[in-house]
Amino acid sequence: MIWVTWRQHRSQAISCLAVLAALAVYAIIEGTSMRSAFSSDGLAGSCLARTQGTGCESGIGAFMGKFGSEVNIAFWSVTLIVPGLIGVLVGGSLIARELEYGTWRLAWSQTVPRGRWLAVKLALVTGGLVVLGAAMTAVITWYRAPMDRLTGRLQHNVFDFEGLVLTAYILCAFGFAVLAGLLIRRSIPAMVAAFIPWLTIRLVIEFVFRDHFLAPLTTAMSPSCHTAGCGNGISSVPQSTGRIGDLVLGFKPGNLVAYQPSDRFWPFQFIEAGIFVVLTAAALGATILLLRRRAAWSA
Amino acid sequence: MTEHDAAGSVPALRAERLGRRYGKVWGLRDCTLEVPAGAVAALVGPNGAGKTTLLEMIIGLLKPTEGQVSVFGETSHAGAAGTLARVGYVAQDHPLYRDFTVADMFHLGQAMNPGWDRKLAAARIDALGIPLKRKVRQLSGGQQAQVSLTMALAKRAPLLVLDEPVSSLDPVARLEFMRDVMASAAEAGTDLTFLISSHVVSELERICDWLIILANGHVQLAGPADGLLAAHRLLTVPRDTPDAELPGTAIHRTDSDSPSHQHSTVLVRTGADQPAARSRPGWQVGTASFEQLVLGYLQHQSTGATQENPAPAAQRPGPSTKEFTR
Repeated sequence: MIWVTWRQHRSQAISCLAVLAALAVYAIIEGTSMRSAFSSDGLAGSCLARTQGTGCESGIGAFMGKFGSEVNIAFWSVTLIVPGLIGVLVGGSLIARELEYGTWRLAWSQTVPRGRWLAVKLALVTGGLVVLGAAMTAVITWYRAPMDRLTGRLQHNVFDFEGLVLTAYILCAFGFAVLAGLLIRRSIPAMVAAFIPWLTIRLVIEFVFRDHFLAPLTTAMSPSCHTAGCGNGISSVPQSTGRIGDLVLGFKPGNLVAYQPSDRFWPFQFIEAGIFVVLTAAALGATILLLRRRAAWSA
Repeated sequence: MTEHDAAGSVPALRAERLGRRYGKVWGLRDCTLEVPAGAVAALVGPNGAGKTTLLEMIIGLLKPTEGQVSVFGETSHAGAAGTLARVGYVAQDHPLYRDFTVADMFHLGQAMNPGWDRKLAAARIDALGIPLKRKVRQLSGGQQAQVSLTMALAKRAPLLVLDEPVSSLDPVARLEFMRDVMASAAEAGTDLTFLISSHVVSELERICDWLIILANGHVQLAGPADGLLAAHRLLTVPRDTPDAELPGTAIHRTDSDSPSHQHSTVLVRTGADQPAARSRPGWQVGTASFEQLVLGYLQHQSTGATQENPAPAAQRPGPSTKEFTR
C-alpha cells in the first residue's frame, strides 16, 4: 500500500517540491540582501536590543522602506491562499478521482479492505503535507528573521506563516477536500467546495478571534512615545508598550494601551493550530466513518 | 461441469433471499441461487436488471439490505479482507489507472494481494504481446480488458466475477477476450468458477454451462444451461390455440401478423413431469436456442401482470430484443 500511495501521489509530491524550491530560491535571494541591508542600516548591533528601537529610527525607516511593503504584500497572498490551494489540490482527488473514473471498483476489490486503503493513504499523505508545511515554515522563518526583529511575530501577516499554523492550514484544507471528494465524487467541484469554507474559517479566526485567544493586557503608554510618537503599526518602532514585538490592539482613555505581549506567540500558535488540527481530524474522521458505513456508490 | 448437486460439495456461490434497496427502490430482491464450483455461469438481463448490484454484493463492495451471499461456504461481508480475497473481479469498463504502466498495475496487484501470482501475470501478458512499460491509456480497449482479466486471474481467487466484460469492446476484441476466458476456464477446471454478467447473450452461449436470468431485480430462471434448454420447447401453433392446451407453461408467445399464415410461436416450459412436449397435427415442436430461451424469459417478465418494480422504459411491452446486442 505504501508503494501504491507513492505511485498515485508521485506527481503531486514533485509539484509540491517544485513550489518549495521556488519559495526557497526567492527566500535566499531576497533574504540575503535583506540581511546585508539589516547590517548596513545599523540595525544589527546593540541599538535594537538595548533600546527597543529608540534612537534607531532612521535605520529602521530606511530598512522598512526597502523591504517592508515587499514582505507584507508579496507574502500576504502566498500565506493566505497557497496553503489552502496545496491542501485542496492534494485532498480533492484522493477519493473523488477513484469515484470519477470508476477505479474504486478496482481499488476496493483487491484484498486490502477499503478501510485500510484509506487509513494508509491518509497517514502517508498527511505525513507528506506535514513535512512540506514544516519545510515551508522553516524557509519563511529564516527569510523573515531580520524583519521579525523589528515587527515581532504576532503581527497578522507574520503570525500566519511561522510556527505551527501554516502546516495546520494545509492539513485543514486537505481534510476538507478529502471529505468533499467523498461526498461530491468529483475532484474539481470538491476542491472548490473545500476551499471556500476553509478560506472563510481561516479569515474569521484571524480577524475575529485571534486577538482575543487570551485576554489582552493593559499598560500605560511607554514614556518614549511622548517624545518620538508611537502607533500600533509595524513601522511604528518603538511600540507604544515600549517593547518590540508586542501586538498593540488599541488605545484606551487615560494613556492606556491594550496589547498582546510578544511572548504569547507560541501559546497563540498552539491555540490556532489546534483549532485547525481539530477541524482536520473531524473531516478525516467523518470520511473514514462514511467510507466504512456507506457500502458502495451507484457510480 | 454441472455436478452441482453432487453430495456434500460446497457451491462456489450461494445467495439466499438476497436483496438491496436504494432509497425506496429495490435494485435486487429475493434473490436465491446457487452456482456449483467449476461452473462458467452467465448472468444475463437487460441494463438495470440488478446484475451489477448482485455482483457487488458477492464481491464485498456492497452490503446487502437483506439476506446473505456466501462464496465457497463463507458469508461475504462488505469490505472484509477474507471476502475480498475469495473473489477476483473485472469491473464494467475494466477500470485501471490510466497514468500507470502495465508493470505498475501488476506492482499494485502484488502490493494489494497476498496471493498474487507474479509468474501467471508475466506469462499471460507476454503471451498477449502487451508491452509492460506501456501506459494504460495507450492500450486499446481490448488490451485494457486483458490487463484487467490478468489482474483478476493473478489474484488467485477461486471465484472470478466479470461484469459486462465485453460490452465496450469491438467484435474482434470480444471474440478474443471470450476465447481467452474460455481457455482459462478449461485450464483451471473445477479450481476456478466464473460468473460473467452480460446483456450480450450470443457472446455467452458458447462458453457458459450455467445460466441465471435476472430482470427487474428478480431471478427469472437459474440452473444448468443444458438442463434448462432440455426443459423448454419452442412451439409453432395455430394462433387461436389457448395457452391451456399447450404442453407445459407458456413463457412467451409471439403472434404472427401475417394474414396468410396465422400462427404463434410459444416458448414453453415442459417441466419435470412432461419430459417431452406432446405434439399435435399442425404443430411444430423444436428446441429453443440459448438466445431464444433468454429472450423468451425477458419478454415474459416485461409483459407479465405482476411487477413489483416499474420497468425501465426500454423494457416495456414491445420488442425488448433491442436491449440485446447481437
